[in-house]
Amino acid sequence: MLSTVIVLDNGGGTIKIGVGGDRNPTLITPNATAKPPLSLSKKLLTSDEILSSDPTSLSLRRPIDRGYLLNPDLQRDIWAHLFRTLPLPSPHVSSLLLTHPLFSLSSSPLFELVFEDFNFRSLYISDSPSLVHLYEASRNPNGVVSRTQCSLVVDCGFSFTHCAPVFQNFTLNYGVKRLDLGGKVLTNYLKELVSYRTINVMDETLIMDDVKERLCFVSLDGPRDLQIARKPGKDNLFKCTYVLPDGIIHTKGFVKDINEAQRYQTLYDGEPNSTTSKEKDIDPTDDAEDSEEDRRKGDPTKNEFNLTNERFLVPEMIFRPADLGMNQAGLAECIVRSVNSCHPLLHPVLYESIILTGGSTLFPHFAERLEKELRPLVPDDYDVKITTQEDPVLGVWRGGSLLASSPDFETMCATKAEYEEHGSARCSRRFFQ
Amino acid sequence: MEDDASVAFRRTSTRSRKVATKMVAALASSDNRTQAALARLEALENDNGGVETVEINDDDEASLDDDEEAYIQKKQSLSMKRKTRQGKARENARKTPRTFLELVHEANLEAFPPHVPNYLRAAVGPPSVTSRRHFCTVCGFTANYTCVRCGVRFCCIRCQKIHNDTRCLKFVA
Repeated sequence: MLSTVIVLDNGGGTIKIGVGGDRNPTLITPNATAKPPLSLSKKLLTSDEILSSDPTSLSLRRPIDRGYLLNPDLQRDIWAHLFRTLPLPSPHVSSLLLTHPLFSLSSSPLFELVFEDFNFRSLYISDSPSLVHLYEASRNPNGVVSRTQCSLVVDCGFSFTHCAPVFQNFTLNYGVKRLDLGGKVLTNYLKELVSYRTINVMDETLIMDDVKERLCFVSLDGPRDLQIARKPGKDNLFKCTYVLPDGIIHTKGFVKDINEAQRYQTLYDGEPNSTTSKEKDIDPTDDAEDSEEDRRKGDPTKNEFNLTNERFLVPEMIFRPADLGMNQAGLAECIVRSVNSCHPLLHPVLYESIILTGGSTLFPHFAERLEKELRPLVPDDYDVKITTQEDPVLGVWRGGSLLASSPDFETMCATKAEYEEHGSARCSRRFFQ
Repeated sequence: MEDDASVAFRRTSTRSRKVATKMVAALASSDNRTQAALARLEALENDNGGVETVEINDDDEASLDDDEEAYIQKKQSLSMKRKTRQGKARENARKTPRTFLELVHEANLEAFPPHVPNYLRAAVGPPSVTSRRHFCTVCGFTANYTCVRCGVRFCCIRCQKIHNDTRCLKFVA
């Protein structure tokens, strides 16, 4: 009997949940519960309720820390909420395809959750790189990825960044390299910078997430951009203002002047864009206000702050974690080390099939910068080709959806009967080496 | 990690060892500045603002929806019917607040034979070609000077003043 499969990409930042075979998940939602400041309300917000409520000063609790499930009880509450509210098939008549970080630390709480608390019929646990590989291979049947059945998946997500070589749908775990940097650290770093320099936003995790997604970008020439960021007035192409929500008129924060925020693009377009120069003429009053002194300060009474060099220094950390004080190599070197730990015959193919996925790769110019850093490190006779996904956040989920609709999916699962017979240790041996 | 080999094959007790994060940092190095840097990196992994302690079971004041509560209750009573050893172990696990460091410690990764890849060995090592660039903690530009007390960087005398007035020695205990 063929049953429905629920595909659940249980990320540290967001849960992507839906039915196998679909193109898009039913819901993308934060994997967290949030508590409003005590004075306002005592109701605990779960997952998707966070998105619809006022983001100010919510304090978050996440079941996953550094990519690994730490609080199964919290995770159960969140899943229970999702299964109750979403139009999904009931767990006891469906199978579950669940993503799990590479290298399990302890998987038993996961099996208990799936089989004892939710009564799923069967479970398949997959790591994310092989799903991304599967999706890319099917999307482009004549590409390098599907012809060689081999790719290097660079997953730069919320909790950490992995470079994982995949060969014939199996992740080569001896070649996996991890960089302990992801969206969470970047958001916190931005929070730290802004709080110290202008307004205290240490409690505004969700708002700063939004700031990071809208305003941060990857610089292609760090020293030059630092020089530009130092300039006063309208020569400073990076300065832009973000307005915090006030809870009355605006419940969401926003970028004060979109054109101002996009001005840095002129550096990369080659010639100055005509529309942007026009914009500069329209609002001279804004620039006139800026003296060297209060350029950085913004206006604390108006609840807004300016960003300049923070916009590119924050994503810069993915390429140079050492600048943050971490004793780890940057992403480019991470890729090289990952490739070097594989068989030499795979090297040229791996360099030619680098797939970028994960939410943190959404920063503008991420791929260009990576290629620029990677090229000098790779032998001359190998091609470097970096593929970006059209929707990097969903890459893993779509791969899972494909796998779930394949005919022999059921045979790969661990069933509830098996779990009851053998316990979690035997079941986890099926999925983890 | 680099303990002697005998540690690797010894059976460790299942009791979770609780070590405060500051203690871990202090044990790892006696140097104040390294300690400060570690504390800062640790702070960057926090879910919420500031340097916080992990709070567990503070949901008593906050309540879920009534029907949701019922759903979970039902689920719990279902699973609690079976008095298995696993169930008991889970009850125990529920009582102890767990941090990521404890989780890694419990997985006992050092005991793996050296050719088996695991979480610790998957970490990319230190950088080989590039050295650390320093940015002014006050304004973000290239910093040439170091605070003599806490080792934080700044670029000019104005930034030094701000640094001294505000967060000199912030992460040093």
